[in-house]
Amino acid sequence: MKYLLISIASVMVVAIMITAIIYYQEPTQVSLPEQPISEESDYADLVPQAVEVEDVISYSLQGDTLTVTFNKGKDWITVPVEKELLFTGEYSGNQQQLIEQSYLLSEERAAFLYAEQSDTGPQNILLISTTDQGKSWEKSLVVEQFPPLRFRKVDFVDDSFGYVILSGDRTMSQEYSSIFLSYDGGETWEEVNRPDVTRLVADGGFVDEQTGFVSFGILNPEEPSLYRTQDGGQNWQEAVFEMPDQYLPVFVQAEMPVKEDDHLTVLVNQGSSGDYDGGLVKGKFISEDQGETWQFVEEVEPDE
Amino acid sequence: MSKIVGWISFLLAVGLFCLQMGYLVFHQNYHVEYVDYRLFYWINIICTLFLLIAILLLTRIRKMISCGIAGSVLLTMGILLMISDKPVNHIISLSPDGEQLLLLKENTDQQTATYYRTYYGILARPQQDRLNGTTGEFKVQWVANDIAVITYPTTSGSLQQFVATYGDRGSGYSYYHVEAEIYGTWQGPDIELIRDSEGLRIIENGEMEEFDAAHIRQFGTLAIVLEKDGEAVWTISLDETFQVDTDPSALKEGTISIYKATMEENEPVRLHHQNVQ
Repeated sequence: MKYLLISIASVMVVAIMITAIIYYQEPTQVSLPEQPISEESDYADLVPQAVEVEDVISYSLQGDTLTVTFNKGKDWITVPVEKELLFTGEYSGNQQQLIEQSYLLSEERAAFLYAEQSDTGPQNILLISTTDQGKSWEKSLVVEQFPPLRFRKVDFVDDSFGYVILSGDRTMSQEYSSIFLSYDGGETWEEVNRPDVTRLVADGGFVDEQTGFVSFGILNPEEPSLYRTQDGGQNWQEAVFEMPDQYLPVFVQAEMPVKEDDHLTVLVNQGSSGDYDGGLVKGKFISEDQGETWQFVEEVEPDE
Repeated sequence: MSKIVGWISFLLAVGLFCLQMGYLVFHQNYHVEYVDYRLFYWINIICTLFLLIAILLLTRIRKMISCGIAGSVLLTMGILLMISDKPVNHIISLSPDGEQLLLLKENTDQQTATYYRTYYGILARPQQDRLNGTTGEFKVQWVANDIAVITYPTTSGSLQQFVATYGDRGSGYSYYHVEAEIYGTWQGPDIELIRDSEGLRIIENGEMEEFDAAHIRQFGTLAIVLEKDGEAVWTISLDETFQVDTDPSALKEGTISIYKATMEENEPVRLHHQNVQ
């Protein structure tokens, strides 16, 4: 027994010495998962807070300048827009990362929504974009004189068709929202009708030129409130969720529907106050009538 | 008796050893660090001492050999502690009720500070909040038992405030906007806060400052920082007596606090709800 004790103690002493030296040689701090440091050490000093969007595409907001790279940090291209204009409106983050959904960054297109003060007071909302990986940048006016922004989202369904969803002028749990479509790759934008709802916008978008959705309800929603259009934003109707009884107060906030084969699917999350099975499990719903009615399929983990 | 003490010491040594090995293996993957990086060496020292006690009480190894080996381990740890001059400045503060521990780690080389949430008193995980352009000077003020305001000057010469929050004034399950919850007029000695449909205004000694939504930053669900010309001016926080109400027009019994951004010594001022605008 004593020999066993001495053996264990010897192993522990040796391990303590080795691990202490390993620990001594470790870098100063654990890097943040939300703000990965560039793997290209040659460029790490230049862009230590790059945010990776795809393997080779990322952006940085360091030095109050928005820069993007399309080749894993070998070249950084400055986006000709002032950093603070990207965060105008109701935003309480730390400006270390762009507002989610307010930009898109891919090999084919980079585009960023921003607001510029107009001469008459209220801000104009613009989109700055490039389709040649930053060789040239185009600015397009989405809307003039929009009230203080809250929700903002831009995306393109294909090369030519894109959409912008904005909300603002929030008072308590009510706000104004607008939807804009472009059929010429973002050069011009036209406003379409919006659902007759003033609750806070949670998400939205189009799956093709005709079919679009806007999801409402951020502050303690009790059921999903998803509106759909089948005619490019001219008319909107509320979608019907066939919710199993046990999920009635659980899945309350619809996310953006997506096309899967010949049908649509949507994930409905639990909102900010959900606590069912940890609060992150979502309900998956399917629609075979272009989003008019939705049937529950299964619970899904958040990373599925 | 000595055997019992010996075995307890041995088990404690093994426990600390497992903690250290577990930390080394998992801390990168789980983004966990010790509250202070020097804790690793201190735990090694304590582990070695327990081991020494166990060996002395449970075996017949000559004291000289045991003490010699333990001494060399302790000496190594001591040297590593002295020469490990990592560029880290720890800002640690315990809340007035001793329930919360504020932890910021400043990388003095990069002039940035990272906010950490602490676990079990010795472990901490970095949060996404990062303070840039820090100069090593921080002033910490607990304005409530679960709200700490950190005021700090930056390399660009501006004054900033960061608020660490550890609680909630609602059900604890839903997000709400502090700015919306403090609707109405709030009065304190020589200072008045008005939040109405026109925005948020602070009147101090007859001078009024207005803040629009673009210059109000919310932290958690307990505080907002009001900014002007890129600098923090005030922090407004919900006191522990404050109850989030779904009816914003109702007269609120609880209080809020307002805390001026300055590196000089100052105290938060308590404001009482006056009337509905």
